[in-house]
Amino acid sequence: MKWIPKFNSSNSLRVIFIIAIFILLFLSSIAYKHNRDLNESSKLVIHTYEINVQLERLISAIKDAETGQRGYIITSNPKFLTPYIYSRDKVNRSFITLKKLTSDNPKQKQNLENLFSLIIQEFKTFENCLKYSNPKTYDKRKLDNYLFSGRILMENIRFQVEKMKDIEKKFLEKRLKKYDEEISLGPIFSISLFSTALTFILLAYRQISRDLIRLKIYNKKLLISSGLMSESEKIGQFSTWQWDLNTDKMDYSDNQFRILGFQPNAFVPNKDTFLDFVHPEDKEAIAASMENIINNKELPFSYYKIIKSDNEIRHFKSTGKLLTDQNGNNILLGINFDITDEHLLNIELQERNNELEKSNKELASFNHVASHDLQEPLRKIQTFISRISETDRAAISDNAKEYLLKIETSAKRMRVLIDDLLLFSRTNTTKKEFIKSDLNGLLENAKSELAVIIDEKKGSLKVGKLPKLYVIPYQIEQLFINLIGNSLKYSKPEIAPQIIIHCEKILSNEIPELIDQPFKKFYKITFTDNGMGFDPQFKDNIFVLFQRLHSKTDYPGTGIGLAICKKIVENHKGYIKADSKPSEGSVFTVFLPE
Amino acid sequence: MQKNALHILLADDDDDDRLFFKDAFEEVKVQTKVEFVFDGLQLMEHLNNPDNKLPDILFLDLNMPKKTGKECLIEIKKTERLKNLIIAIYSTSSSDEDIEDTFIEGANIYIKKPSDFNALKKIINEVVTLNWHYHTSGLNRDNFLLSLK
Repeated sequence: MKWIPKFNSSNSLRVIFIIAIFILLFLSSIAYKHNRDLNESSKLVIHTYEINVQLERLISAIKDAETGQRGYIITSNPKFLTPYIYSRDKVNRSFITLKKLTSDNPKQKQNLENLFSLIIQEFKTFENCLKYSNPKTYDKRKLDNYLFSGRILMENIRFQVEKMKDIEKKFLEKRLKKYDEEISLGPIFSISLFSTALTFILLAYRQISRDLIRLKIYNKKLLISSGLMSESEKIGQFSTWQWDLNTDKMDYSDNQFRILGFQPNAFVPNKDTFLDFVHPEDKEAIAASMENIINNKELPFSYYKIIKSDNEIRHFKSTGKLLTDQNGNNILLGINFDITDEHLLNIELQERNNELEKSNKELASFNHVASHDLQEPLRKIQTFISRISETDRAAISDNAKEYLLKIETSAKRMRVLIDDLLLFSRTNTTKKEFIKSDLNGLLENAKSELAVIIDEKKGSLKVGKLPKLYVIPYQIEQLFINLIGNSLKYSKPEIAPQIIIHCEKILSNEIPELIDQPFKKFYKITFTDNGMGFDPQFKDNIFVLFQRLHSKTDYPGTGIGLAICKKIVENHKGYIKADSKPSEGSVFTVFLPE
Repeated sequence: MQKNALHILLADDDDDDRLFFKDAFEEVKVQTKVEFVFDGLQLMEHLNNPDNKLPDILFLDLNMPKKTGKECLIEIKKTERLKNLIIAIYSTSSSDEDIEDTFIEGANIYIKKPSDFNALKKIINEVVTLNWHYHTSGLNRDNFLLSLK
């Protein structure tokens, strides 16, 4: 699963996009607010102008009234009174409009009320002026008074109006200033926000294109590896299948179809399809192991037969494992091997093995039985010879005596041969019980077994310290007897045989013949003698059964002794070799695993 | 005199071996009465017949037709009346397997048939003069196989 790329960038992409969207949302909300503020500001401007206009109107209406009143007073022509009469209406209308316009501003409202009371007073003054200018009720002093107070009121009204205008103007200025501030801050802020958003989007774009390139590369790799996989399956005669436990979907590799005898994707498999191909004999077991695979999380190697679409029977080996992918899906991966060729080879090998085993057994039992059954007549021959008494012997000719002696010698030799042969076959067939034994003790036993010959030949043994090993005791004893016996037998005439036995620990890699053995440490035991030695060209031959280097008249023997040694050492997973030069003594080396 | 004679029974199918055995006993100084059976079946019939007196020592060959010596040994040791019989295995074989098996099955001594008539006489002398009670109580794998010094 190493080849699956990790696209962490998709997360950062998501973050970038979310930030960009927020910025854009923010931008549009700011734009909306600006728009609204602008609208409001222009409304306010209009509002202020309207108030101003109405105030101007009010003033001009009062002025009209004043002018009319003055004209009437001077001329006493009632025509001059017309604007005065209309002006009242105009004042009222303007006042109503102003009242509406200032309803949102308590201060202006108050001012307006003040203005209104001033206007009412002014109009009252006007009335009084008219009253006292009328020739019927003329009163100069009162008229002058009222005219003067009308003058002052008029000034107050103007002042009041100016005051209101000022307030409006200041308010408007304030508004405009604030608006200007907002408007001037807006563009820089918006542009920077916009460029940030743009940067983010560009970043995202770059990331996307990078991912795309990586994806393309991985896709290519994936294609190559899946191609290789499919090719390997074909060459290696195996196939894979995937069973998605979450979706219960089964996927066969191309070769899975082929090894079942179909073209790739010839059918849509489900989890039971495969069982249809399993040989009836194995169906139950395979179905059970398919069921168990979910609990055990893996499928142990199973061996079974399948029947291909063309009814050919093939031998399969299958295994499987439960995998969990990045998304937490449980996928069962199975591998099938077509092992028909190996299976057939195995069967052949098994048959040959059986044959070999059988023939080996036959040989061993033949050997055993032959030497056993041979003993019986031989024993009788020897017993019968022994029954020919001295008196009987005296009665026969010298020739017959001679023949009798030769029969006896031959029978004895045959006895030795049979005994040795028996010993050799027993080395092979008897139970091999490995017991931890002290080799020093076994050597002592061998020495006492050979005591008579050692004495006879005046031989001497120099024995080093031997280890304790897991061995078949009587076989190792036999090995020592045979090796020492061999050295004693082939000693130089006139020279007392001397045998040096030495032991040391070695590693298997020091001796090429031991490298294949499963053990690392070995004991190397050498038997060095001062005997007659042998031609080194025979150093392998001397371990072969019945191989002899000397005539039996000079050195009686059966050619079995060293063959037994070899057998014994091999039984112990060891190795034996011999080195010598003629008349310089010989060295027999035994390697035994620790 | 005849009553005190040692009663010997040899189960062996081989004519020559029976002959050697008989001759050897004739030359042994101890008073003996030697009887023969020729195979395992005959041996069991003889032993199971209550009319026949049980032998003091049974010499049992292993390799016999119809019923082998080992089978006879197992049968004898299972039979209440016969299980205390002194049994000397008398065989050509000296294989560890045979010695081990007959020791386990309860034979009293193992004799390898010698290839010398004088040796046979010595062995027989040894066996008939053996203190069986003493030998059996101290019996082990090492002294089970009779060896002549």
